[in-house]
Amino acid sequence: MNPNNKFWWFAAIAVSITIIIISCLALLFWQQLAPEEKLLLLSIIKQNFLYIFSAAFLILAGLGFALDGIFHVYIIPTSKLVEETTLITSVNPSHRITIEGSNNIMRLARIINEGADRYEELQKNVEQKMDLAKAKAEEEKNILAAFMSELPEGVLICNAEGRILFYSKQVKLMLAGADNIIPDSESGSDKARSGAGESFIGLGRSIFSIIDKNLIVHALDEIAEKLKRKQADISSNFVVVGKGNKLLRAEAVPILNHLRKFTGFIIIFNDITQQTEADRIVNFMLQSLTKSIRSSLAGIRSSIEAIIEYPDMESAQLHKFRKIIHHECITLGSVLNNMSSDYSSHFITQWPLVPILDQNLLESIRDKAEEKLDIIIDIEYSDDHNSVKVDSYSIILGMLYVLNQLSTEIKNRKITCKTEKKGIFVNFDLIWQGNPIKIETLRKWENQILILKNEELPLSLKAVLQYHEAEIWSNVCDGERDKSYLRLILPAIETYESENIRRITILPESRPEFYDFDMFSQPGQVPELDDRYLNELTFTVFDTETTGLDPRGGDKIISIGSVRIVNCRLLRDEYFEEFVDPERSLPFESIKIHGIRPEMLKGQQTIDKVLPLFYRFAEDTIFVAHNAAFDMRMLQINEAATGIKFINPVLDTLLLSAVVHPTQDNHNLEAIAKRLGISIVGRHTALGDAIATGEIFLKLIPLLAKHGIYTLKEARIASQKTYYARLKY
Amino acid sequence: MPQTILIVDDEQSIVVPLSFLMEQKGYNVITASSGEEAVDKISKFRPDLILLDIIHPGLDGFEICQLIRENSEWKDTRIILVTTMVRDVDVAKGLAFGADAYITKPFSNSVIMKQVRELLKGA
Repeated sequence: MNPNNKFWWFAAIAVSITIIIISCLALLFWQQLAPEEKLLLLSIIKQNFLYIFSAAFLILAGLGFALDGIFHVYIIPTSKLVEETTLITSVNPSHRITIEGSNNIMRLARIINEGADRYEELQKNVEQKMDLAKAKAEEEKNILAAFMSELPEGVLICNAEGRILFYSKQVKLMLAGADNIIPDSESGSDKARSGAGESFIGLGRSIFSIIDKNLIVHALDEIAEKLKRKQADISSNFVVVGKGNKLLRAEAVPILNHLRKFTGFIIIFNDITQQTEADRIVNFMLQSLTKSIRSSLAGIRSSIEAIIEYPDMESAQLHKFRKIIHHECITLGSVLNNMSSDYSSHFITQWPLVPILDQNLLESIRDKAEEKLDIIIDIEYSDDHNSVKVDSYSIILGMLYVLNQLSTEIKNRKITCKTEKKGIFVNFDLIWQGNPIKIETLRKWENQILILKNEELPLSLKAVLQYHEAEIWSNVCDGERDKSYLRLILPAIETYESENIRRITILPESRPEFYDFDMFSQPGQVPELDDRYLNELTFTVFDTETTGLDPRGGDKIISIGSVRIVNCRLLRDEYFEEFVDPERSLPFESIKIHGIRPEMLKGQQTIDKVLPLFYRFAEDTIFVAHNAAFDMRMLQINEAATGIKFINPVLDTLLLSAVVHPTQDNHNLEAIAKRLGISIVGRHTALGDAIATGEIFLKLIPLLAKHGIYTLKEARIASQKTYYARLKY
Repeated sequence: MPQTILIVDDEQSIVVPLSFLMEQKGYNVITASSGEEAVDKISKFRPDLILLDIIHPGLDGFEICQLIRENSEWKDTRIILVTTMVRDVDVAKGLAFGADAYITKPFSNSVIMKQVRELLKGA
């Protein structure tokens, strides 16, 4: 019960009991009196009624004022003192008590604040020492993480139940959103499923939502068999289809504990799409080559054998055979020609080239030339920005090699350089005063292996140029006969520029609280979940931005942002952020709040496309939101149109804050965040608010524990009491 | 009466020398350059032996083989597959579909003639 109510209940009961006791005493006293004394007393009371009534009223009023004073000076400050001290000792050591009350209470608050200062100082010292101690481990972890993220293979680690414990960035790129989901019969057929076939990868999620369960089970069976047979190679290989129909070779390796008991498995993914495609093309080329050659040879051989066997055949017949032989010889030649051009053009594309701006490439060449060769390059910049596709290491090394040779040849260590787009090519010109390089010299350079001081690439310049479909030559500059250039010509590619959309954010008042959605009886509230501890559950923290605050009046969702909490960790990398085309106008008042302008929603997906994705993202987790009734209502009004019903149990940080801090008046997101020492980044963006709500929720969990609230059910029941308490007002 | 040989191939460079060769040996030769034409000529001329390429327009050599073997009236027709498909699995498949012999291109005229003679000896 709210301490405010508790105190007044106590005061009312105490006053009532006192009145009853006084009445009883007066009654006993009355019965002791003789009749003439009773008459006398009555007459005295009658004569002095005004004085007696005034005295009683004054006593009662004085009592009331005294109680009110006690309440505001002692009772409320004491409760606040308890709450705020708990805050300091639990989640926010920087919090300081600022209350009004009696001198003693104020003194106590000052002492607690002083203690808090020392506690914070001490905690900082301890944290510093811990940070130092952690730094090394963290560094090693970062090296490992960086290594993992740089690996071309995707690595995913699961426990024995198939829950994901770790995944590398590549796995997400290879598999997230892959349309290879196999419907899981165990999860219940009544659930709405994503029509888009999107799958999410996240810690604590099941691998079976990404990869067909049968494949994994088959692989694990194979591993178990190999372990039983004590084979040296215990991995199991299979192929899965990833994002964008990529073909991935997966290698599953078991993790055994010291007792050789199976505790989990690692899956290493390799993207074999390109390799498979290359193999397929090569196989196809070889097969068609063989068939063509065999076919032509058959004609030639058969004809020649016939000519030999029948030397006296008619001249018309002989002429036919000669024509066949001639024709087949020509066919053979063209087959070989086509084959060699197909083969080389195919293998040029295998070289891993990445787009780069011409000037960036030139600057890299300039910096390296100065550093390694002591050659000064003067870049003539132009306003044009062109992109080329290169393997930067080999092309830069190639250019440095050319520069080195060139500076020796022209006896000059200062060279001007410029780029220019000509048609479908970009020219990189090295310009100097003097004669051009002779073709024979250039040919000699082209055929040498690229060696430069301590760097060596086992390829010739010619090979590097071929891989880039590039060419190099030297000539006299047009219009400046005393100058020459050495030109590297590379195919130009289209320039891509990323579009950065910045949002205007204006801080408004918080949205009103909604009570018209019963979030305490969600179908997903099953006993197995209800009895689990909050710190071991998986949560989807979410927030919606809307066209307005009236779901029933036609306001629509325009953005959904969400993050996951797994094992009490807010996983910022596993987020969901989608803009939604509301298919209606956007009121200016709402734009002022969230900064989302109509043009930002143009071309975005509509709610019927976004909600199935969000459903998959949040599947089998507990929803957490601030003022959840509003967001749940926004989701609920789309149920009929989308067929997506969110059955997830719900926790509301607004209500949970009221549970742990009942004396605080303000439970909006900013106030709670300030109280718990959380800074909000991106307020009124769905994702920013979701992240802040997640951080708040994580800080509320230990505070709830201090109130004896540990499980989902306990949190819900406590919220419900607060919820209905709020409903009364 | 001379025995009839049907040569099925879309490559004239194969059809011309084989036709010449078979005619020189006294066989009656008919030719077809697609699967459908081959089936048509089989039903019309009832050849004793077919020199059958596998890859050509329409029904492929395997399908024609199967059709012939499924038709009881044509069951005595000898089939020699003459093809550029050289994998062992292709040979096994051809023989499984009922071919009597499998000859890969480029072939020797003497080998093909020997096969033809042997197969038509018992016909």
